[in-house]
Amino acid sequence: MSQAASQATNRPLRIGYVPLTDAALLQVAKAKGFAADQGQEIELVAEASWANIRDKLVVGILDGAHMLAPAAIASSLGLGHLKVPLVSPVALGLDGNAITLSRPLYEAVVQETGIASPDPRATAHGLAKVIGKRQAVGAPPLTLAHVFPFSSHHYQLRLWLAAGGIDPDKDLRLTVIPPPFMVRSLTNGEIDGFCVGAPWNAVAVQAGVGQILHRGRDIVQNCPEKLLAFRADFAAANPESVAALATAIRQAADWCSDPSNLDDLTELLAQAARSQEEWSQITPKLLRNILAPTPGAAINGASLRLDREATRIRKAHALWLYRQMVDAHQVSDLPEYEATASSVYRPDLGLEPPMGDADSQGLRLFPRSDS
Amino acid sequence: MNSELRIAVIDKNPVRAAILEEGLHEAGYSLVTRIDDTSALLDRIAALAPDVIIIDLESPSRDTLEQMFQVSRAVARPVAMFVDQSDTAMINAAIDAGVSAYVVDGMKKERVKAVLDVTISRFNAFTKLKEELEFAKSQLDDRKAIDRAKALVMKAKAIPEDQAYAMMRKAAMNENKKIVEIARSIITAADLLR
Repeated sequence: MSQAASQATNRPLRIGYVPLTDAALLQVAKAKGFAADQGQEIELVAEASWANIRDKLVVGILDGAHMLAPAAIASSLGLGHLKVPLVSPVALGLDGNAITLSRPLYEAVVQETGIASPDPRATAHGLAKVIGKRQAVGAPPLTLAHVFPFSSHHYQLRLWLAAGGIDPDKDLRLTVIPPPFMVRSLTNGEIDGFCVGAPWNAVAVQAGVGQILHRGRDIVQNCPEKLLAFRADFAAANPESVAALATAIRQAADWCSDPSNLDDLTELLAQAARSQEEWSQITPKLLRNILAPTPGAAINGASLRLDREATRIRKAHALWLYRQMVDAHQVSDLPEYEATASSVYRPDLGLEPPMGDADSQGLRLFPRSDS
Repeated sequence: MNSELRIAVIDKNPVRAAILEEGLHEAGYSLVTRIDDTSALLDRIAALAPDVIIIDLESPSRDTLEQMFQVSRAVARPVAMFVDQSDTAMINAAIDAGVSAYVVDGMKKERVKAVLDVTISRFNAFTKLKEELEFAKSQLDDRKAIDRAKALVMKAKAIPEDQAYAMMRKAAMNENKKIVEIARSIITAADLLR
């Protein structure tokens, strides 16, 4: 790995990403020249899986990556694969996931809950009743899909299920399906629902096979999602490049937050979508609804945050994710592991402006039911 | 001993999968099954109960397999093949070759290493074959372009084939270009002037 770390970085950095709406800040940083203006050109490489992102990053085929935040922590802990310390100077957004159920399961849950409640704790109890009735008649267990063992999607599902007293390892099956195949798996009955990021919830609704039950942010608000991750040795050897890209990402976030750029952003993402074979259903109209939901319209499942505050790398997120990994029995609860998880989040590397005393946008569990 | 290993191959590319299957057979592994990764992957793997799973690095179903190390009641627990740092070189070789492999827990590493050696070499052989085919195809395309341009020159100037070819070669030398570039210019010009 030392050989990769000592390479000069005047060359464009190869950044891997999985084609999802929340790769937007990387797309914008490149297409709008923010990375180049910071003196660090980037080349974006689409990857087919999160496993590929991890493998190619840790062996040095990629310099940096759009990475699931808990997957970066898992690599640093050596869970499931090589132990390679990773670091992140900047996040690539917050929120944006949603839980979508097949139409029959959605109807059943709403019926058991009594109403289409916006409170995930209520619907989780409804789901528990559905599961109980299925067990009573010997029906096969329900299957819900997420995107990777180390993903906030997985943890959001678990938190939701736990709120209804459902044991995700006993009462139903949790499985992983690549996002572009989610809608098809729901259509052919292989799964009964999923938790996935934009645009796939909206695609399922558009196709008429699924109904969004909750946004991810109804379960956990300000939920960490993807990071811009590097190998720790690469970041140590190339601090200027890493800082330059963090700055470029924050500028891209400001650009995305400016409503006058919405058309431009939509077109940029639509263009990126056209280069992917599975993205044929993704129209500019659909993307626009994800990026800027019409007030009062039905939930479109996105609420993806791409603003500057959403790029802030918060140690509290690393600690929360570590806690979810412990709760999901993925790692033992040891102080040194917790310290390792925390060490992935490096606001210093991104030259992040300090936050002030209290984080006004901290994590909130089941935020809607507080009010 | 080797013949007892049950190997599953997940690869969308039928030619590469066939090359790998042949290589594994030659190395004495007879229980090789190709599975389609489009749907119900876990059920198929559960039914097959393989000792080793070989998967194309570009298959999105890798993430589905990764989940199987975490939670699974349906299958014997496969784990990532290389979980200790001494295997870095082999992991690099596999990723470079475009392949990844998973094995069930408790499998002796030496037994599996041989499978991965065959896999990496066959994947690399396939890549080389593909490059050679592409090269051959581009040569054929060049040949066709030169023939077509020659025919155009013969017709336009009413001269025999060897003279037409000589003219093109002279033009290429004068302009310090390849003859195929001259041929393509002639074809473009002829299309424009038609």
